[in-house]
Amino acid sequence: MQAHPNRWGGELVRFENVGLRYGAAPETLTDISFSILPQSFQFLTGASGSGKTTILRLILQSLKPTRGMISIFGQDTAQLDKDGLTALRRRMGIVFQDFRLLDHLTIYENVALPFKIRGRMESSYRAEVIELLKWIGLGDLLQAKPPVLSGGEKQRTSIARALVSQPELLLADEPTGNLDPVLAGRLLRLFVELNRSGTAILIATHDIGLMDQIKGGRRLVLQNHHLQVEG
Amino acid sequence: MSSSTDFHNQRPRFRSFLDRFSTDSLVAPDPLTDRTLVAVIFILTFIAALTAGLVLFGSAASARWQALLSSEVTVQIRPQPGRNIETDLTRAADLLKQAQGVTKVRIYSYDETMRMLEPWLGQSSSLGGLSIPRLIAVEIDSKSPPDIPAISKQLARDIPGTAIDDHRSWTRRLTTLGNSLVIASAAGLILVMTATALAIVFATRGAMVGNREIVEVFYFMGADDRYIARVFQRHFFRLGLRGGILGACLALIVLALLRFVVAGTDGLRDMFGFGIIDPLSAVGLAIVIAVLAVALFVSLLASVVSRITVHSTLSRLVLRTRP
Repeated sequence: MQAHPNRWGGELVRFENVGLRYGAAPETLTDISFSILPQSFQFLTGASGSGKTTILRLILQSLKPTRGMISIFGQDTAQLDKDGLTALRRRMGIVFQDFRLLDHLTIYENVALPFKIRGRMESSYRAEVIELLKWIGLGDLLQAKPPVLSGGEKQRTSIARALVSQPELLLADEPTGNLDPVLAGRLLRLFVELNRSGTAILIATHDIGLMDQIKGGRRLVLQNHHLQVEG
Repeated sequence: MSSSTDFHNQRPRFRSFLDRFSTDSLVAPDPLTDRTLVAVIFILTFIAALTAGLVLFGSAASARWQALLSSEVTVQIRPQPGRNIETDLTRAADLLKQAQGVTKVRIYSYDETMRMLEPWLGQSSSLGGLSIPRLIAVEIDSKSPPDIPAISKQLARDIPGTAIDDHRSWTRRLTTLGNSLVIASAAGLILVMTATALAIVFATRGAMVGNREIVEVFYFMGADDRYIARVFQRHFFRLGLRGGILGACLALIVLALLRFVVAGTDGLRDMFGFGIIDPLSAVGLAIVIAVLAVALFVSLLASVVSRITVHSTLSRLVLRTRP
């Protein structure tokens, strides 16, 4: 859980007084300020509808803030062009709440997708993908397709896809949302392992029991449109 | 792993090479939409390919008729009181033979002329010595034709009642007809291609909406617009090629049937000539190539139109929005 400074002043993500409103409605997020350091581990928590997914979308740059400044990997996102945005996203991994697996592709093809998108030859990543799938217990399901998988298997596939390119920052949106406590604990341990290998983790969850399993994990708590940092 | 992975093991280099270009499978297949689009492209390609084939067929026939007409002139001598028409015919033939550019002169005998008139006048035997105009068929070198007005003037001066017909009005009409056919067909082809392009635009937009979540996943994994456009482009090129080949095949079958009809019908065979309907002739080969070119063009059109549509649609589907 140690954070190390890097060439961007030690921050992978930095929010400064970020505000977001939808149309003329009151602000959904108000004066949000926080940062994520390399190799750090944090939870983003709050009640349903408090804006957890919105913050992840702001980090992923699928939303622009109404006000404030967001810096990702040391770059002011307001200045990013399309190519810059693409390069930035390639350094992050995302685990979607609803998995977002491609149903017509096999598990192997789903997990290899980030490499394929980057134009890498299959021979250069095949062994790597298979090794990762074996590590997360899906070695026997390489050619299975998502519709025949259980919720846990889908979730692990989604995590493997996010990890396979060894991102510097992993974002996970309710990754244990539909899982039983035993499987949720196993997946959490997987995130901890990843964190130990150098990936900064941000998990959005409202599962207090899950958060309690990690000692020393920072908590970003969303309440009444504001964010408090604990730990 | 399945057979595809066995294939990976057996042919890793080849597979890696293919993998670089195979992005089409990333678009989720939608059997109903894909089949409908293939059917639409098939029908439109069939119409376009058949039109292209018929234009070449018609143009070649028109050119053949023009060549035949321009390589022959007809001299008509009307019977004149007090003159022997047989003598006039011989004299006119002699004059024509002396003219530069005339290659052959043939006088139609009285019986031959009467046979030509049989459809209108009935059996020649019942007409008994009817005085009728007589014809001389003159074949000319179409590359260095004789001076028709000068010959006409000389014949009119020496032999009263002579008229010369160089078929100019017919060749002019045929040229106009041929050009009109080509213009109308070109307009038809443009309309068919426009309809094809519009069908691709709607299909691409539909596919993008249907694959919106996949597009979003691609974006979050670091795909750029060019990559996403390439994925859809390959998908639609494949569909276009499938529909195009089917349409071209049917067009070739119909054109082949047309050839058999023309070859098996005396009047049509004489009219179009065997050279035109022979698949190994220059025109026959040109028709086959044109039909296949239409199929390939339709596939490329599908590919290019889908790419343009993806780029324009992505700007609307853009995920990085201000709420």
